[in-house]
Amino acid sequence: MSRYITRLRMRRTYKWNGRPIGEDRKLKRQYYESMSISVEGKTEDATVSLGQYILIEGDDDDNPFVAQLRKLYTDGKKKSAVVQWFVRMCEVPQNKRKLLGRDPHPQEIFLYQDRSCDNEVDGETILGAVQVSYVIICFYRNLLGNKVDLLSDGEDGDDDDCFVPSKTDLQSSSDEEEEAKIDSEDELVVKKCRGSRTPRSTEKTRVSARTPRKTPIKKTAPATPRTPRHATPSIPSRSAPARKPGNVLEEARARLHVSSVPESLPCREQEFQDIYNFVESKVIDGTGGCMYISGVPGTGKTATVHEVIRSLQQSAEQDEIPHFRFIEINGMKMTDPHQAYVQILQKLTDQKATPDHAAALLEKRFSTPAPKKETTVLLVDELDLLWTRKQNVMYNLFDWPTRRNARLVVLTIANTMDLPERIMINRVASRLGLTRMSFQPYTFKQLQQIITSRLNRVKAFEEDALQLVSRKVAALSGDARRCLDICRRATEICEHSGSQKNGSGLVGMSHVMEALDEMFSSSYIAAIRCASVQEQLFLRAVIAEFRRLGLEEATFQQVFVQHQALCRVEGLQPVSVSEGLAVCQRLGSCRLLLLEGSRLDLFLRIRLNVSQDDVLYALKAD
Amino acid sequence: MSKRRSAALTGAQGVSLAQKLLRERLCHQKLPDQPVGLDSQYKHMLELLRRTAVHGESNSVLIVGPRGSGKTMLLGCVLRELMSLREVQKNVLLVELNGLLQTDDKIALKEITRQLHLENVVGDKVFGSFAENLAFLLEALKKGDKSSSRPVLFVLDEFDLFAHHKNQTLLYNLLDVSQSAQTPVAVVGLTCRLDVLELLEKRVKSRFSHRQIHLFSSLSFSQYVDVVRAQLSLPPDFPDPKFSDEWNHSVTKLCDDKTVEEILRRNFNGSKDFRSLHSLLFLAVSRVSVSHSTLREADLIEACRLISADSKANVLHGLSILELCLIIAMKHLNDTYDGEPFNFQMVHNEFKKFIQRKSHSIHKFEKPVVMKAFEHLLQLELVRPVDSGVCKVQREYQLMRLMLEHGQVMEALQKYPQCPTDVKQWALSAFG
Repeated sequence: MSRYITRLRMRRTYKWNGRPIGEDRKLKRQYYESMSISVEGKTEDATVSLGQYILIEGDDDDNPFVAQLRKLYTDGKKKSAVVQWFVRMCEVPQNKRKLLGRDPHPQEIFLYQDRSCDNEVDGETILGAVQVSYVIICFYRNLLGNKVDLLSDGEDGDDDDCFVPSKTDLQSSSDEEEEAKIDSEDELVVKKCRGSRTPRSTEKTRVSARTPRKTPIKKTAPATPRTPRHATPSIPSRSAPARKPGNVLEEARARLHVSSVPESLPCREQEFQDIYNFVESKVIDGTGGCMYISGVPGTGKTATVHEVIRSLQQSAEQDEIPHFRFIEINGMKMTDPHQAYVQILQKLTDQKATPDHAAALLEKRFSTPAPKKETTVLLVDELDLLWTRKQNVMYNLFDWPTRRNARLVVLTIANTMDLPERIMINRVASRLGLTRMSFQPYTFKQLQQIITSRLNRVKAFEEDALQLVSRKVAALSGDARRCLDICRRATEICEHSGSQKNGSGLVGMSHVMEALDEMFSSSYIAAIRCASVQEQLFLRAVIAEFRRLGLEEATFQQVFVQHQALCRVEGLQPVSVSEGLAVCQRLGSCRLLLLEGSRLDLFLRIRLNVSQDDVLYALKAD
Repeated sequence: MSKRRSAALTGAQGVSLAQKLLRERLCHQKLPDQPVGLDSQYKHMLELLRRTAVHGESNSVLIVGPRGSGKTMLLGCVLRELMSLREVQKNVLLVELNGLLQTDDKIALKEITRQLHLENVVGDKVFGSFAENLAFLLEALKKGDKSSSRPVLFVLDEFDLFAHHKNQTLLYNLLDVSQSAQTPVAVVGLTCRLDVLELLEKRVKSRFSHRQIHLFSSLSFSQYVDVVRAQLSLPPDFPDPKFSDEWNHSVTKLCDDKTVEEILRRNFNGSKDFRSLHSLLFLAVSRVSVSHSTLREADLIEACRLISADSKANVLHGLSILELCLIIAMKHLNDTYDGEPFNFQMVHNEFKKFIQRKSHSIHKFEKPVVMKAFEHLLQLELVRPVDSGVCKVQREYQLMRLMLEHGQVMEALQKYPQCPTDVKQWALSAFG
């Protein structure tokens, strides 16, 4: 299994065959019919001539680009070629793949007719000829979103007829390939997509298909799946389907769950528009750029970016803007900052590599000019986790978009507003640029609007109750997740109490109050009230000792003396040191006390984790 | 036939059968039929997990309560009832992790993958590196959806320890899944720390639903006694009805007894959790034998004595007179210098003063002998060096502290067999 990468390292020399067949005086070009390529270490030369299918060096060594050679010319210094591009299935955007309507053969290629990409290439990037067999001309909807008239139904019928034999052919050919890997040459099946095709080109492909290749220059195995025992990540599916929500409250609860994707994102219109404009302009211009988005958790940063991408993808599908690829990585979802390279590479090209290798490949991809490159939009969530001491991961992420040929848009998200100033060294912060946006915490009106829009006319809440929740959350954090969670809990409480006494069936003030209490009230006081007598006495002894010392720290021995005295006052049998220590450790394990140096035994240092007033309040009440 | 056999149970068999049953109950080998005093929490948990299992709703919850308050027991009971539902049985995947076992995310991830039987598990081995495992698991969870994939219940025991993992990666990811439209999960954390939320990073905290279930026992003493009675009684389906009647009758009588009540109250005052109660009752039950086949108050008294015995008092009983004298000397030093550390030389001087002044029963010891005794005390950790020998000081002058309470010394003297009177007097005298 030779890989192209070895071939890359070999020196290739290019030579014209025969005399020029024509000349353009104005452009000072001389046109040739064929070119021979000699590779170091191989005796035979390869020849590529007009009309033949050729492989062109690209950023993926295993899958070089495929094209048909149209013209060969030189302008005196450089050898150049004009080609008709073809694409492999893996290069077709995900959302277009399903348009094919069947599983493609792994070696199948499709005609590419986007005018946006340069059809002139450097002649020295040609790797050699490739044989294309099984030319099937069919009438098919254009896969690549070019402006093409849709076909009528009658013609679709034709294309079905055409497919039946071709499928069997494909099967047999692939079987052969597996058996005779070594001497089979690269065979690619051309599937023509009819668009604005000229009959001439179909003739040409027929010719080339018939003509056997004169000089076999390379031997490659077809790209069959490399790991036969490739594990697919999946969770087993359930035997019975999940139950649908039954009543209004359950319906409301399902809608209020943070995971449910809302139809629209209210209260983030301005931010949405800003990000949308930024990404759209970059995609249309084919340039790159960075943007930094900050905001406290639960303010809808990631959701807004996803919403932007969704609507951009929609307009790309309707061909209003050029196509782009969207890739998302999250700093928290990787084990090491350098894994970012691996994940980006894997999502871009489905390749697996070590971090260093992946970094090198990405570097090459983003810095070399390549034809038919679409813009890549990269979302980096939790940016601060990608911090390393040398900051090379961040540096690269922000450096790639500035390259001339990268066509990379990087959107970064983190919690802190001044992250660039705080943790980035100058050269990284400078590359990030000044396109920044910060998401403010939601105000209570916005939170209220969010809940109302989520509920979407499902009447489950009283108006006042909603207002209370949103005011409370807005005052504390402005976190929309918290707000939704409280509402969800309130519906549960309402459901429980509803079964006992018949109210309006709506979630009211009392339910919301209870939910708020559960989530926000401190549990320390309840814990002290429910503690055992000795534990309460011990806390009292701690406070007494603190007062005596005038310090906020005491050793166990000191507190224990107080404890013994208090026991006598209360008329209880004094406890032994072991028991006292056990009481102390119990209080320490629920963090009512902070204990330090537990190996010190009697000289264990004790501090209170609650304010003295709280302890006294809790103890006085009963 | 069976009746004849059960009637034929001899006294010895009855006793051992009863003991076996009670031990199972007291050693937490069997879940109780109903959690005591935790009804509302039980309902809340059951409802929550049922919604995950049946409706595919993702949730996260923390169960917080002091040690021995029945967190694991509550969850065990809830899961038992949940799994008995037909709808749920084959539809739920359970993953159990413990912060004491899965000490970092790498181990935890392997364990999750293993328990879920994902496709990169062969036999008991999980393939791939840490990074691959994480990516694989996240991909698997991402592929699932609310209505078609099996819900996964993640139980994280000692939840607070997971918060100490690097970056809290595992918690972030689990909670993130629970807040997004992926495979339905329920993340249940068990912890005894009340301040556990403060340990979470703010982005992790934001993803947690803030649902906390607190287990604080609000039992009164009479309820506590009822629990004791219920714990000790034999069930009605005990094979020997005559024996069980007798036993249950004796238990009822025992619970009304004054001394037993005192013991129980003392225990209740110490801590309200059932674990300490169980260890007390376990010792008592173990003392039952064929010769006295019912539980008596003497058994409980003895058990209480064993449980509440001071750990250091026992060590003190085994000391020689010389060592005891040194301890007393140290106690006096502590009294005069108000707990300041001392060294061997000071102790020795104090001891010599005592010998010169009024020693009739104790003869003079050479200094090396006293030193040896002192070193023995050091080994027993009844004295400890103040700083663990960083600077090189001669052994006699190394500063030490006594690790005994005043009360412990006096108690040991009272109980010391054949303690010379002058030593006792010396200990009681206000000044050395």
